[in-house]
Amino acid sequence: MSVLETPHILFRGKVAWDPITTNNYSTMYDEATASWAQIPAETAQGFRDEAITAVENGNWNPGGTHRSSFFDTQISGVDTGGGVATVDPFVGAPVGFQGMLVDCEPYGAFSSQLFFDTLSLGIAGGCRIYAPRTTRFTARYINFRRNGANRMIAGVASVIWQTAFAKTDGLQIDAFDSPALQALATAIEDPDVLGLTVRWNSYFTVYYDDPTLGDASDPVRQKQRQAASAAALQSKLRGGGFQPNPARSDVVGVVGLWRKGEPIHEPGDRALLSSEGATAFGTAFARIDGDTLTLDLGNSVSEVDQALTKQDLGSIDVVALDSDGKDLATLGSLTYADYDQAAYESASGLVTLKLDPAAAKIAADADLCLRQSNGTVLATEAALRAIPLVPNLYLDQGDTATAVAQVYARGVPVGAGVPVTIAASASSVTVTSVSQTDANGQVSFDVIGSQGQVNGFVFVPGADAVVPVGGIDPQVTTYMYARTLPDNGLDQAPATWANVYNAVLINWYAMAPCMDNWLRLDDPAQVHAYGPMLKTLTDPVNFELFRYMPVVRDMTADSRRLLYRFLDGPAPGAMKVAAMATATLVAEPEHEPTNAELSRAMRGN
Amino acid sequence: MIRLQARPLETLQDAYDLLQTAIGVEFGTLPPYLYALFSIPPGKNPAAGARIRSVMLQEMVHMCLACNILNALGGAPKLTPPTYPGPLPGDIGPHGTPLDIHLLPLSRDAMQQAMKIEEPEKVPDFPVLKASLAAGPQAMTIGQFYTMLDAYLATLPPAAWHVDRNQITDSQFFAGQIFAVNSYADANLAITQIISEGEGAPDNPLDFQNDIAHFYRFGEVFYDRVLTKAPGTETGYTWGPEPLGVDWDAVYPAISDPGEHDFSNDPPEAQAAQAACDAAYAEMVDELQRAISGEPGRMGNAAQAMFDLRMAMLVAFRSPLADPTKVSGPTFLYKPTTEGAVL
Repeated sequence: MSVLETPHILFRGKVAWDPITTNNYSTMYDEATASWAQIPAETAQGFRDEAITAVENGNWNPGGTHRSSFFDTQISGVDTGGGVATVDPFVGAPVGFQGMLVDCEPYGAFSSQLFFDTLSLGIAGGCRIYAPRTTRFTARYINFRRNGANRMIAGVASVIWQTAFAKTDGLQIDAFDSPALQALATAIEDPDVLGLTVRWNSYFTVYYDDPTLGDASDPVRQKQRQAASAAALQSKLRGGGFQPNPARSDVVGVVGLWRKGEPIHEPGDRALLSSEGATAFGTAFARIDGDTLTLDLGNSVSEVDQALTKQDLGSIDVVALDSDGKDLATLGSLTYADYDQAAYESASGLVTLKLDPAAAKIAADADLCLRQSNGTVLATEAALRAIPLVPNLYLDQGDTATAVAQVYARGVPVGAGVPVTIAASASSVTVTSVSQTDANGQVSFDVIGSQGQVNGFVFVPGADAVVPVGGIDPQVTTYMYARTLPDNGLDQAPATWANVYNAVLINWYAMAPCMDNWLRLDDPAQVHAYGPMLKTLTDPVNFELFRYMPVVRDMTADSRRLLYRFLDGPAPGAMKVAAMATATLVAEPEHEPTNAELSRAMRGN
Repeated sequence: MIRLQARPLETLQDAYDLLQTAIGVEFGTLPPYLYALFSIPPGKNPAAGARIRSVMLQEMVHMCLACNILNALGGAPKLTPPTYPGPLPGDIGPHGTPLDIHLLPLSRDAMQQAMKIEEPEKVPDFPVLKASLAAGPQAMTIGQFYTMLDAYLATLPPAAWHVDRNQITDSQFFAGQIFAVNSYADANLAITQIISEGEGAPDNPLDFQNDIAHFYRFGEVFYDRVLTKAPGTETGYTWGPEPLGVDWDAVYPAISDPGEHDFSNDPPEAQAAQAACDAAYAEMVDELQRAISGEPGRMGNAAQAMFDLRMAMLVAFRSPLADPTKVSGPTFLYKPTTEGAVL
């Protein structure tokens, strides 16, 4: 499905990540109450100081902005069906993107999103794809075995980002003399095509702008270097000013057609799931068009060093298996040159094989498998996949939302009667239920926001569902998160500045020092003066906007109502009241680490 | 068109002088661009604002790169804020006459001035543009100036380059754009970036990353037309037909060259706004000077002052003067006010 069709456009470059990381820690932020984990009698400035101290324990960016931008990113190639070409006029055009990086689950690493307004490939007046947002980018299939030689924070991991852009939302292709864009513009006119899907992989994340910090070959020296970098950042932060510390990743991506029935937020192609115990190899995706098999290995083959040399797995056979796991046909083989670093960077991890027509016919109804020549299975197809329509859901306490998952069989939506087991999962599976797909191949269930919390849900389709007792395994399971923002009882609070500051604004004043650059959240006069703008930026209808406030999407409904009552009231005098902040520490219970909590472990929780 | 007087480069001191002039020019272009940018009310003229903002950010990068080159050669860059109206640092100007730079709210005059600053040696013969601009190089464009500098730097031995001396990098801001200069190769890369982002390539308007160069960015606003590919034509580009959507009336009624305005009879709010602008500007200059003098962490403090300046400018452009049909704008007059002042 999707971007694996031709024509498609390839791009490559880098992305900078600048999230505030303080809310990743249960000791400093309470995701249930959506507020800072306050310490008795401590002021917001004290919290800021504590966040800076925590840099030495992994809080690598307390002065961040959440902004994430592509840089040094260009169109790297096009494929109109004849393989990757680099002579098209579109090749070399810059790719511009700026989003806000936000986790639905603040403590974990499985639910990252990029809120943004537009993606622009190319420039105005030139060859260009101009793509106003339909919905946010979502991260899925995080692969913790990807860059083993880059061991710092989440430097080992890679992840797939995907969203789709509807033709009805202002999507524009300015083709000029680009045959690839002309082909894409023609293809998109097909009534079966809803728009374009953009999928990219980020990998080899570097912190403190120093790749050597991830080199664990000498652990003692690595620790010393990391400590020195943390100390240097602390020094800058304590010196005041605007001191973000963005991390950076490499990026490869592809732009292709978004057809009816295809998911927006993650690959809906045939899924070849990573094999437990296999050589580090992440889940791959596949599509067969006629006699062409296209594999997406964008998130699959690990690197063995910091020069990003791809692991040599030798010849990899693509095999069709019957339901007992026996070979039906070998569809083709990949040599190392098909998936090495040069090939990966040239084709964004996509590999195309020509199939024998007979083998293609067999493969249509068989499970695909990637297997090394020594017999080691790297990945095997799971024919049924249930993919949530909304991967990261936000609720207010008291709300009930209907969550829907679409079930696919080998990448195609199924019909009625397929059972889907839904497992609610925090650190481990706690609740399961089974639903049957409707005529559209969808199952739905209610998510009840009974209290402030973050929940994960795992979907296991099929009659013989085996519920993953360890909870979410992002390489294998499909899942969604639901964050319920609590009702903290603020509707009864008088709309005084003290209440607004202590119960609402102090959360971001303390945790987001960069806000000082735009608005002094501890200044009642300034907050009141910018009331109309604040109302616009916090309006739930603007939740998807790049500039929505708060960036981390954790303003509770009763907080908003209290703020608005204050903004609608008489203008206060200009008086800073930071010292009025008092509260009590919300203790975070200890967790026994589980497999599913690996994401939180990456954040130091 | 700004043209820098040619001067033979024979010694390292000559290179220092030339680089110091370059730093002054890069820094000196910021206030007029900022003035035009912030004269646009929020939500108005988004396309024009985006273009001016993108140029302004790149000018900041260029200034840092020029400082990096000078520091790498063992020099000591100085920020010397010009006064407006007035000439930019260095003996520069079109046709042998120093060019006076004015602070102007967004207008065709402001954009024409910006185009003169950024004009390449040879302006491609695009339709529309042909009839409106006449060129006659007598001295040097900024691009030629940097090219001459590059030719001299290429002759220096490796030992002339001081590794990691007072360098500003992109670790905090401008990912992928600011980098340390430790060798001629780095300096050459920096100069290539500066020239191409300002002027584009000799025969087309794109910079080294295939984005639109400054001269043409301003041209789009000036002509109110998107610079558009025209495959198969002799020039390859046309101005339009797509309009950029500039609304010349959607601009604060700001006075030009506020540095020449006497604010003593204006409302206290306008005077307070001026004072806030002056304080933030002075803070920014002082912190920048520290940053390029071996305290890179101070760049964050300079950025903080830039945010303060932005807020102050927003207030100034909303503050009526004694003539209620006019508002004030920042003077960009440097007045050392802090203990940290180093100029």
